Amino acid sequence: MANHELSLAQPRPATGPDLAIVAGVQLGGAALLGAFLLGEKTAVVVALLAVMGAIFALLQLRPGLEERIVSAFRAQRRPALALGVGIVLAYPFFMQGSSYALHLLVIALLYSVLALALNFQLGSANIPNFATGASYGIGAYTSALLALNFGVSFWLTLPVAAVVATIFGFLLGFPSMRTRESYLALVTIAFGIVVHQLLNNFSWTGGPNGLVGIPAPTIFGHSFAQPIEVLGFRLPSQANFYYLSAALVALSILSAKRLHDSRVGLAWNALRADPLAARCQGIDVVWYKMLAFGVDAFLAAFAGTIYAFYVSYISPDNFTFLVSVTIMTMVIVGGMDNTLGVILGAFLLTLLPEKLRIFADYRLLFVGVIVILFLILRPQGLFPQRPRHYGGPQ
Amino acid sequence: MTRSALQVTNLSIRFGGLVAVADVDLTLNPSEVLCIIGPNGAGKSTLFNLISGIYRPSSGKVELDGRDITGWPAHRIAAAGIARTFQSSRLFNDLTLVDNVVIGMHTRTRSGVLDALLRPRKARAELTEAAERATELIRSISPHLYARRHMLAGALPQADRRRLEIARALASEPKVIMLDEPSSGMDDRDTDALMADVRRVMAERPGLSFLIIEHDMRLVAALPDRVAVIDYGRKIADGQFAEVRLMPRVQEAYLGQKAAQHA
Repeated sequence: MANHELSLAQPRPATGPDLAIVAGVQLGGAALLGAFLLGEKTAVVVALLAVMGAIFALLQLRPGLEERIVSAFRAQRRPALALGVGIVLAYPFFMQGSSYALHLLVIALLYSVLALALNFQLGSANIPNFATGASYGIGAYTSALLALNFGVSFWLTLPVAAVVATIFGFLLGFPSMRTRESYLALVTIAFGIVVHQLLNNFSWTGGPNGLVGIPAPTIFGHSFAQPIEVLGFRLPSQANFYYLSAALVALSILSAKRLHDSRVGLAWNALRADPLAARCQGIDVVWYKMLAFGVDAFLAAFAGTIYAFYVSYISPDNFTFLVSVTIMTMVIVGGMDNTLGVILGAFLLTLLPEKLRIFADYRLLFVGVIVILFLILRPQGLFPQRPRHYGGPQ
Repeated sequence: MTRSALQVTNLSIRFGGLVAVADVDLTLNPSEVLCIIGPNGAGKSTLFNLISGIYRPSSGKVELDGRDITGWPAHRIAAAGIARTFQSSRLFNDLTLVDNVVIGMHTRTRSGVLDALLRPRKARAELTEAAERATELIRSISPHLYARRHMLAGALPQADRRRLEIARALASEPKVIMLDEPSSGMDDRDTDALMADVRRVMAERPGLSFLIIEHDMRLVAALPDRVAVIDYGRKIADGQFAEVRLMPRVQEAYLGQKAAQHA
């Protein structure tokens, strides 16, 4: 039957080399990230960046290598997933108790969620949305206000904030009925600025001072402000939020994958390639655009809620236009419509400014230079979009 | 009396002072091939854009299978059963051939965001099934395309792009399919293959009607049941090609008044 022809008739390669490739890539990546996080000397940081650049240059020069790695991961889906989860769970134990490294990881994970959220729009559907930072802020403020004024628990504010932000997302999607491309981008910029100004000027949002003293979440009697103690190991309190953000990233990856490999993801891709042709295939362009706004806001609000409870203090300046631009850069540098690429972009752009603090006032200049160098190396983003696979082994 | 597949009555559109299509009447019967010919800028593509809902007509009526679809948005008209191709083929270039055809099935598949997120098995099964049908469809159109089904559409040569566009249009199981200059940029061999494709598709799908804009007179002479001639936005002739080509008004439209007198 047709089914057989769909699953590409390749002879199955031996599992040994595949497993070695998967383990090598994952452990190597984790080690590289760890060295980067803990590296204190600027020379070390620059050397690590050079190593990373060399790896991507190699991938660019030898496309076969990339294909080989991808096919190894595809063949060994389950072991790769198990090892990945294992690495993520064990990672804080290798951070030598450094709360700073864990803090960076939490922020990078939250930005990964935001970048994945925006990827639904920018990557899948080519909608330039400069308001992800605003949705992030709406999520953070909604949950913080609920917790401070009504004592609502963190776990309940998560979905509520997401729903509120989604409603705002849909509202923002309304103008997309009438505006396109650059004009739509202007509308989203305006929305972001309006949200920022409102948060800054309302008295019930605390004005420019923001909201202070957001209580730490608790689960089964364990407060997230407490360190974790397991088997004689003691992890700083940031580890609580590390695991929580990692879980959210996992949820985002799952959603991204499911949506990408569905009729909805295809409709978004059609919209990206040619909106007029998409309409003529029966795709309701306005509805799918609004849907992308809604999904983006939903995930961004989750990240906002975790952020608010993590730092326990939020102000309008955490959710400026610049935040939205940063998220957009993460998606473009990482690779449009590629989950892994977007996450890598988020990590890169969160960690670089922190690690280049030695350059003081010039650090953003250096971040910019590095981003441009990476884009020259990989013009389609660090990991570009890949064609879909149907009927392969699931 | 059999009901016509597509009935266009007094259809007009004005852009400011310019009347691009004026009071055009067209009847397309089930299983019929109707070619629309006319000089460049006569309003043929505008007529297609009116029928497929890209433009809203200023006046007049479009009926599909007896149902009034005048002024519907393009995506609803597509769902109602009118598929089309474009003069400069508009494929989804950064997607594979299979993806292109699966997108053509958008109106024949159902799963939405919640299905995709919460019932992935069901959504996945629907899409896999659609991909299988798309693969079959591509194979039935051309073995050559079938061999390239996992390639990106942007990498296809011109003749294959047309074939894929036709496959994508067929994927929505339309009642009427509109081809806008399908043979443009093709040599004689490709045009012959195109005509063979259309005949085969018609034989396999009884009831499917074709509305084709064409400039290649070889195709116009051989393929359609009827020919309609449009000039300056008006229909000036409608009938068998052999009769229509002899009409003085048609010759004038193509050759100019003077030359037509000597033709």
